[in-house]
Amino acid sequence: MSEPPRNPRGAAPPLLTRRAALGGLTALGLGSLGTGALTSCAPSNADELAFWNFIGPGGTSQEQSDWIQRLAAAWNADHRPKVRLRYVPNADYLNGPTLQTAFSANHGPDVFMLSPGDFLRYHNAGVLADLTPYLNATVRADYLPGALDSRTFEGRVYGLPMESEPLALFYSTEAFERAGLSAADVPRTWDQLLDVADKLTTARRFGLVVETNPGYYQNFTWYPFMWMGGGSPLAADQRRSTFDSKATVAALRLWQEAINRGLAPGRPQGSGGNDSISNLAAGYCAMQQVGIWAIGEIAELAPDFRYGVAPLPVPEGGEELTCAGGWALCANAKGRDPDAAARFVAWALGGSDAACIERSRQWNTKVKMTIPVRDSVRRAAQRQGDFENPAYRLFVDRIAPKAVGEPRYPVEIYRTISDTLQACQLDNADPAASAAQATEAIDTFLSTYDGAPIQ
Amino acid sequence: MSGLTMLVPRRPSQARAGYGFFALDGIGLVVFVAGPALLAIAIGLFDVDGFGKVEFVGLDNYRLMARDQLLWKSFGITATYVALFVPLAFVVSLCLALLTRRDYPGVGLVRTALFLPNVISLVVVGVLWKFLLTDKTGAVSSILAPFGLGDVSWLSDTALALPTLVLISVWFLMGYQMLIFLAGLQDIPQDLYDAATVDGANYWQRFWSVTWPALRPTSFFVLVTSLVNAATGVLAFDLIYVTTQGGPANATSTVIYYAYQQAFLYGRFGYAAAISAMIVAALIVVTGALFAATRGGAIR
Repeated sequence: MSEPPRNPRGAAPPLLTRRAALGGLTALGLGSLGTGALTSCAPSNADELAFWNFIGPGGTSQEQSDWIQRLAAAWNADHRPKVRLRYVPNADYLNGPTLQTAFSANHGPDVFMLSPGDFLRYHNAGVLADLTPYLNATVRADYLPGALDSRTFEGRVYGLPMESEPLALFYSTEAFERAGLSAADVPRTWDQLLDVADKLTTARRFGLVVETNPGYYQNFTWYPFMWMGGGSPLAADQRRSTFDSKATVAALRLWQEAINRGLAPGRPQGSGGNDSISNLAAGYCAMQQVGIWAIGEIAELAPDFRYGVAPLPVPEGGEELTCAGGWALCANAKGRDPDAAARFVAWALGGSDAACIERSRQWNTKVKMTIPVRDSVRRAAQRQGDFENPAYRLFVDRIAPKAVGEPRYPVEIYRTISDTLQACQLDNADPAASAAQATEAIDTFLSTYDGAPIQ
Repeated sequence: MSGLTMLVPRRPSQARAGYGFFALDGIGLVVFVAGPALLAIAIGLFDVDGFGKVEFVGLDNYRLMARDQLLWKSFGITATYVALFVPLAFVVSLCLALLTRRDYPGVGLVRTALFLPNVISLVVVGVLWKFLLTDKTGAVSSILAPFGLGDVSWLSDTALALPTLVLISVWFLMGYQMLIFLAGLQDIPQDLYDAATVDGANYWQRFWSVTWPALRPTSFFVLVTSLVNAATGVLAFDLIYVTTQGGPANATSTVIYYAYQQAFLYGRFGYAAAISAMIVAALIVVTGALFAATRGGAIR
């Protein structure tokens, strides 16, 4: 054993050597980390189901916030464990880190809302509880054709949709009148869309708003333009990409031209292209591609605003169709009580009792104004005359029947499409070259993909 | 040897006190900096999906980085941001310090006004500028409309978005750096200026021969801190998150924002950790080179 070193002045050595101090600090630090890790595994309250959502309490829409609080209160009145709502603002829920961070820390909510675009990422990670045992055959048969497709894998249901939300073209009646246009001038083709947008563009207003913020929502809103001419990112067998097609290139070029000609803003107002109040109703644009939810938004937040709705314009020789999104409730398979969480989801949306049907009818036709996804809810709404609003009626009768469900592409495909769309729309990239490049990237990914079927 | 003598306390009580003071920062550094940094290097060797999957992949994440075009684009954007921000913030804040170094009526108010942006949350700064820079209807567009610039899209034009963020960053930080320079300027003995004046030196000659060399340590500190701030995204991340979210078309996606997207939006934690490790390595090289080139800002 060596002798302890002396300091140069021969004074007594310090009680703590630097090495010992650093060692102690490291141990303390790691200890703290370890303690943190251990506490992070402990449930905060095992008697409650955490239900994260972007509706309420305290959400933008008072009616929607009230609805979800009534839902939780109804469950809590005679069920255990109780449900505790946690509101996450819409922008954060859609494009923010809150949900992902919670799952990463093993603190994911027991119940949460999920869009079809994000389904595969969660499903492939094994965090979506199988809801099939909690649904009876009658209820499954009650869902309208295709409504469960994007939440189903090998016949098992992993999420219950609350609604179907097709996209359409909303326009300001006042802006049309000021430009000397009428309902007869509402664009039906892509060429007309650009021409009319040009006529409606002024020094302080854009003719058209389409989404420009990158994310699942932007892809969702662009897909119908790709599909109208027969384009698709994937071949039917899902083994290769068909993104590099005439239809896809034309759709990319349409969105590029809207920006390049100054007809659409590079950055929509408010929360983005999904925000009808900050853009269309505020007079920032004269036409906006947005979903059916805008009917309810405008009725609640801008009731005096005069507007019209039309199906999305189609390319020459193309097919009239749209894309329908819609949120689903999911239960966390790795949560504190997956069984209770799944029971809650099935009770909330997948019951055959009158209260469940009425709850869904209220949500679909009174609170948010979306398309019901269950036949019993739709029939109840028809009996009550809920579809009398002309804009709502147009969605129900004409737009929704031609809606294709939002696809559930894996994040690698979603990101490739998103980057391509962004580059063409906002960076003037050549659509043909970009589509070819994207095809190559998707093919590379498909060669190694072994998750759930994509479509 | 004098430096070594200073490090060794004379009495045990002094040693305890010394280590006690050191412990406050030391524990913080270990828990919040060193620990996570080591953890990030380790995580970079795994495929971590954010849902509990942890699979050792060796250097795969680093190999992936080599062919990730968006990552290299984000490195380029970061370099551009640093190259624009650091010198601009330096020059603007030094000029402001020189303009406000003398006492004249209202100088306190001017200094306060210039420093004010720095006390506002960066998120609020982002929201404020997003509002001011709204296309067509924003205050900036309205003011510039008579000059034919009303249709300029400051935050959604790929050529303008990054320079716009640089200008906002400079506006935010200039008051703070101005204060640092003011402190440095006050340390310069008046005798030097008097001697230079007696020798017939004009304003610029006094600046280049007296002020500039005497400010070298302060300049070094300002340069290093603003370089690290700019490269690590201390300033830019909040602004980008609030105003552009990396867009338009990834034109403002700095490497830190890209790493954030990979981890928290796409659940690729292992890859994001590998990117972070690369950023730290690059920073060590750059700051080391800067330190060597300026000899730590020492006055020659």
